[in-house]
Order: sequence, then structure tokens, then C-alpha cells
Amino acid sequence: MVIKTTVIDIIYRALQALNGELPADKQVPLDTQTRLFGPESTLDSLSLVSVIVDVETGIADDLGKTVSLTDDEAMTQQVSPFSSVDTLADYILKQLARG
Amino acid sequence: MSKYLSKIVLVTGASRGVGDLLTRHFLDEGATVIGVARGDPTCSHERYRHQRADISDPQEVQVLFAALRREFMSIDIAVNNAAVLTSQYALIMPASAAQAMVNVNLLGPFLVAREAAKLMRKAKSGRIINISSMAVSLEPEGDSVYAACKAGLTTLSNVLAKEFASFNVTSNTLGITAYETEMLRQLPREKIDAVIAGLPLARYATADDILNVVDFFASDRSGYITAQTLYLGGVH
Repeated sequence: MVIKTTVIDIIYRALQALNGELPADKQVPLDTQTRLFGPESTLDSLSLVSVIVDVETGIADDLGKTVSLTDDEAMTQQVSPFSSVDTLADYILKQLARG
Repeated sequence: MSKYLSKIVLVTGASRGVGDLLTRHFLDEGATVIGVARGDPTCSHERYRHQRADISDPQEVQVLFAALRREFMSIDIAVNNAAVLTSQYALIMPASAAQAMVNVNLLGPFLVAREAAKLMRKAKSGRIINISSMAVSLEPEGDSVYAACKAGLTTLSNVLAKEFASFNVTSNTLGITAYETEMLRQLPREKIDAVIAGLPLARYATADDILNVVDFFASDRSGYITAQTLYLGGVH
């Protein structure tokens, strides 16, 4: 059973990789409440794509599982999985639980 | 002998025709080649790795690239070569044949380019080369869906070129004229001869004609060449 902190670590790693490419004043905070999408988010669309790809890759590498964060289900959730780090972690755990 | 030394190259449709030609060329020039095909390998070489997969199946493509990521970390060059052709008048073209062409000739290259670009993104470098056809320009009767797919491939390549530019991945397209392959032999020879006779350079393509352009697109020096389609034989 995958625990949430493991998933959050993978998301943080993706954000760290992104931060490595961003200027000092655009750094994305590593916090569970960090907004990934929407008006309060500091990520542009390309940065979000980059984070999604890195998270999917991290899940595959670390956990040996395949998740798709951009399928129809993700896009039709009442609360977007990309609202925050926390909601993204919850969505990934839900996907992983389904196997 | 060493043009592609230590490069990792992926070729779809590697078992036959142009794919087989490209596979052997990259191997001769020092690359490690991952050949993707639905069937058995036709090439045996210490640097050849055969991966059986249907590129039109998103799940199979994901599994393929997950395995490649584990083994190679990245790839340098991806050649979208796999294609299927059913040449038939539209009025009697089975929908299943049309669908198969869309899946293999358009969806497949999209899936392969997408997954390849995810690997190339980390290296901030890569070459995607799409193999197209003179059918796009000549619009021959019987090739409605095939030609449309190949035209779509150019558009796909050009948009991907924009999306992947920020991480130095280029995407270009080579439009081949007639080259001796099993696919070509499905078509009436006299029809092909007539088409070739109408080209500015009225002859069949040679292996070197194809390799010359592929080498150009694949070259480390071609980092400023993207979203281009180059036709052989004076087709435009």
C-alpha cells in the first residue's frame, strides 16, 4: 500500500526539477497547499505539463505503476486533481488503489 | 562508421522496407537501434534490440517506453516509419481499413513522438523524424485515407516542433517517392511507373536518397532545422 507522503515526495521532486529551470522570483513552493492550476497558480501551462510528465515518470520509476494524469477521468473531476499538491496526491492514490 | 556512435535510435516499422533500411544504416554507423514492429525481428546485431509492439495501441506504447526509460534513460533519435496502406477507391474502401490507416499512420506517430519527447526532454536534445510520402502532394486516386494521414503527419510534426522546441527536440518529415518495398509492391507497377514518369526527377528513390535526408535531419548540426517537410524527387 502506497502512503501519501511517498506520492507527495514524488510531486515535490517534480516541482524541484521545475524550480531548477525557473528564476529565483518564480520558484514554486514545496507545500501541500501549493496551487498547481487555476488563477492562484504560478505555473504556466508548459510548466504544468512538465510537472505532470515528471510525476507520471516518478510514479513509474519509484512504484512500478502506470498512472495517467491527463485522461478523461482526470479532466472531469469536480475538483481538479491539479488544484493543489494535496489534491493531486489524493487523485494519484485513488488511481493506484484501483491498480 | 561512427556517425551515430553511442546514439540510441528508435525506428518503428523496423522489420521491413524503409524501416529495415534505416535500422541497418544506423547500426552500420555505430548506433544502438531499438526496432519496433508487431512481428518478429528481421535483423540480428549486437546493438539491435527488437521490441514487439503495436504503435497504435496507447497502452503498448506506454509500456514500451517505460521499458526503454529503465534501460536507456533517453533516446536520441526517433523515426516514425511504421505505416500501413490499403489502396482502394473510397466508394469501396472498408471502414476498418480506413480506421487501421488512421491508427497506425497518424495516432501511432503521435503516441511515439509524445513518449519519445518525454525522454528527450530530460536530455534537452532529440530528433524526431517522420516518414511521409509523395502521396500527400500527388493525391493519387485510391489513396484518399493514406494520403490524408500522411498530410496529417506533416501537420502533426509541425505542431510538435513548436511544442518541443523549448527543450531542443526537432521534428521533421521526409516525403519519400517510390522505393522498392513490400508496400510499394501492393500497388500496380504500371501506375507507379506513370507517377514516377511525371516527377521532375523521373526515377525511383534509392536507399542513399533516403539516408541522405534522414542523416541531415538527424545530424547534431541540424538543431536549427525543425517543422520542415522535405520531399524527394522534386515533389512539392
